[in-house]
Amino acid sequence: MQQPQIRQFVERYLNTFSAHIVETHPDYLTVKLPVEVDKDIGNRPFYWSWVEKMNLPYQPLTLTFAFHPERMPEGLRAEFLHLGASRMQQIFQSAKKHGRFVCMFEKIPGFLPHVGQRRSTPLVPWLGLNLKISLLCDKRRDILLSLGINLHEPRVVQDFVSSLFRLSLTPSIPDYYYTLDRRITLQQAQSMAEQEVYRVLQQEDQQWAEDARTRLEEELAILESYYRELAEREETQTESEKSESPEDGAAESAEQEVLAPPPTPLDCVDTPPEKEALAAPQTSRESVEQPEGPGDARFAGGRILDFLRANGVQTTPREEISQEPWKGSTPAEEYRRRMDELRWQYEPRIEVETINGGLFYLHSQPGSGRML
Amino acid sequence: MLNVPVSFDTSWIQQMTERMQDDGPWDKWEMFKLALEAEEAMAVREFNQLQCLKYLPHLTPFPHQLATAERVLNEMRGRAILADEVGLGKTIEAGLILKEYLVRGLAKKILILVPASLVIQWTKELNQKFGIPAVAQKKEYMWRQHDVVVASIDTAKRDPHRRHVLDIDYDMLIIDEAHKLKNKKTRNYQFVKEIRKKYCLLLTATPIQNEMDELYNLITLLKPGHLGHSSAFSANYVEGKRQAKNNEQLRAELKKVMIRNKRSDGGIQFTNRRVQSVPIELSPEEMALYESVTRFVREQYHSGTGGFNSLALITLQREICSSKEAAFMTLYNMYQRTPEDSPLRAQILELVEMIRRIDTHSKAAKTVELIKQINDKVIIFTEYRATQNYLQKYLHEHGITSVPFRGGFKRSKKDWMTELFQNRAQVLIATEAGGEGINLQFCNQVINYDMPWNPMRVEQRIGRVHRLGQQRDVHIYNLSTTGTIEEHILRLLYEKIDLFEMVIGELDDIVERLNLNQSLEDNLVQIIMESRSVGEMAVKLDNMGEAIRAVQAIRRQTTASKAHEAAGK
Repeated sequence: MQQPQIRQFVERYLNTFSAHIVETHPDYLTVKLPVEVDKDIGNRPFYWSWVEKMNLPYQPLTLTFAFHPERMPEGLRAEFLHLGASRMQQIFQSAKKHGRFVCMFEKIPGFLPHVGQRRSTPLVPWLGLNLKISLLCDKRRDILLSLGINLHEPRVVQDFVSSLFRLSLTPSIPDYYYTLDRRITLQQAQSMAEQEVYRVLQQEDQQWAEDARTRLEEELAILESYYRELAEREETQTESEKSESPEDGAAESAEQEVLAPPPTPLDCVDTPPEKEALAAPQTSRESVEQPEGPGDARFAGGRILDFLRANGVQTTPREEISQEPWKGSTPAEEYRRRMDELRWQYEPRIEVETINGGLFYLHSQPGSGRML
Repeated sequence: MLNVPVSFDTSWIQQMTERMQDDGPWDKWEMFKLALEAEEAMAVREFNQLQCLKYLPHLTPFPHQLATAERVLNEMRGRAILADEVGLGKTIEAGLILKEYLVRGLAKKILILVPASLVIQWTKELNQKFGIPAVAQKKEYMWRQHDVVVASIDTAKRDPHRRHVLDIDYDMLIIDEAHKLKNKKTRNYQFVKEIRKKYCLLLTATPIQNEMDELYNLITLLKPGHLGHSSAFSANYVEGKRQAKNNEQLRAELKKVMIRNKRSDGGIQFTNRRVQSVPIELSPEEMALYESVTRFVREQYHSGTGGFNSLALITLQREICSSKEAAFMTLYNMYQRTPEDSPLRAQILELVEMIRRIDTHSKAAKTVELIKQINDKVIIFTEYRATQNYLQKYLHEHGITSVPFRGGFKRSKKDWMTELFQNRAQVLIATEAGGEGINLQFCNQVINYDMPWNPMRVEQRIGRVHRLGQQRDVHIYNLSTTGTIEEHILRLLYEKIDLFEMVIGELDDIVERLNLNQSLEDNLVQIIMESRSVGEMAVKLDNMGEAIRAVQAIRRQTTASKAHEAAGK
């Protein structure tokens, strides 16, 4: 997306919300954000929960977007919008959020029914699905696929959305048209879409996945031999250590005793030391989770500090901070973790996301469909 | 046949069904189209091509930085040691790589661990240069609340922070100044090992400071087992502590996990370095003090009767080369520790008294002269705080404004000092530790007030100003006190091995080939401390210089013939 397209996009986006454009200039524009837009891109979630909970009047945010970095407006606080700008990403997200589901009807321009002909033209129900297929391993590639599924006579066409762009569509059913019934459910349509995705994927080069798997196997093999050797060595080492230096071990455990936390009143009923050590991390873990839950009952309206306190994540109280001595993972744990990491990194997988979808009642025949 | 698991997002079915039942609310057709266009703009069409640049209109990376980002992405799969020489922009490379993974949607939760002094700088650079919403970790909740967190490793490793960090799966972990993790027994190392991460970047300009093992440990953090078990590594690749064997094979292995761009690789234009020795004649009293201290150190070092550890003696020897002020505290402490009935007490006291009596400051006087002559911003490097304090006072007395700079300063203080230096003061007096992570390219005059015995440190000093972004030639003045050890060291570094003319990193390579059993620094220490006479020391240093020169010559020859070969192809 180049800068002119960025500007067009932003203008179309704002127009769709009927935003009030305060000033428009070849290099920039100033806009008073509508509520929905402010919530999506205004970066003030606290403000919004505040005014809503308090039932306060809302002050719209006015922003100036500039589109040429070297021609920024003078005397105005403007921000340069480009593809990588975080505000632009927020606008994208907002567009995706507000452009999820549509229901549209085809309207043939200049079409007038013959006299006496009533509700004579049928419209076929189609489900349009825009899919993003992501091929993932340690890398990623996306394929965008636009499918149309005929819900009346089940069949699938590709590149559905381009067919739609050639038609004239309207959100309400035009006069003198009627819609044919849907004979399959969305669930069934989804299955058809899935079959189509598999067909598309079959035609894709599979090399990327094989390569990723090979890499994974290689790395796992290296890991395996490394940890096997490590384990063998540790064994012989600890044996020799045991026989050689008993004083060292004693010194170490003495040190641990010094570092171990003083038993809390609850625990101190004759718990053997090892048990205590095992129990300690668990209690401390709970203590973090507790304060994480927002929406505390302490919120009593009116005071912003209380509000923030109730909605923020709190700090672990000093006395709950673990004072335990450092304990690293065992080689076996480390090995497992490393294997998990490798799978996480390399394992090839495909994710199919539905960008958006719509019900389209069409008179025209879109694309070249595959009959089922 | 497709044998990759495919997962479909079916959450839309329920949402759409509800809208069909209620006949709405339906979104606008225009917004539907915009959503699709947004996805089209963001979709990653290629596995291998860098995507991040189209998101970074303000950034023009150097070719070597782009090449590095591409290699990490395509060959190293997001786990790499970035070991460019100082000043080639490792931060930019890391930023590019991070941005790439963010843009590709392959990384979201990011942890960047850096020395405390660099937290703000990293946060600022990621935000300003890369549009990455990084935050500096300050409060406990931030570990969870924010996706890109920059934190000091020393904070992160302590509870309650540690527990959060170790509980989170990080898509990417970046560690700056990773050579600080060279020792696998340290808590920092153990801690980093425990962090769960998908991609990982370790940044360091000096992957090997002293021993081959350091590099091995770094690689083990990144990819355990990549170089085999440590003993196998030693058997296969390590000749001496600093000496590798099976070089070609090791190099090939390293290439898989480490990228090291060097200035000598070319393609990057640097301004020239102009080096100058500034000879200084000590006053007779100063010379007498120097000689007395040196004699004392030597006697104690060889006899060991005073019970001083050799490190303290070496320190004293170094300090007296820097300034008498630097030596004063050490002598005083030695005096305190010596038993009251020891005859050494009188001897030390005598040295202390000598320091007290001297009121000339030949080195400092020369420095003032030099600064006035330069008549521009100057950075003075010294190894010792006492020298630093004293110099600041001395310059002040001579009407020269200066600001101190130390590694121990908080980041805000460092920034403040840098700013003061840029806008108000003529001179910045920095101790060695002040070197990391500050950019002082606006200054091009460096005075080495004393000379570190470790040549790598000299490089780091110069690297502060002689880096990408330096517009002018860099002038380096080495103060050389006639008749002292420093003069010999300087002769070795400057005249014999052309250290200052060397491209950064060359020395590294040479030392590697030298077959030394110890680091270059340890060798120097040994020569200096163990020589029985000045003559012996001079000869030994000369020999060392010759050895380095020989290796250097071979190296330059092979580099030249390789270049020739490459040109022939």
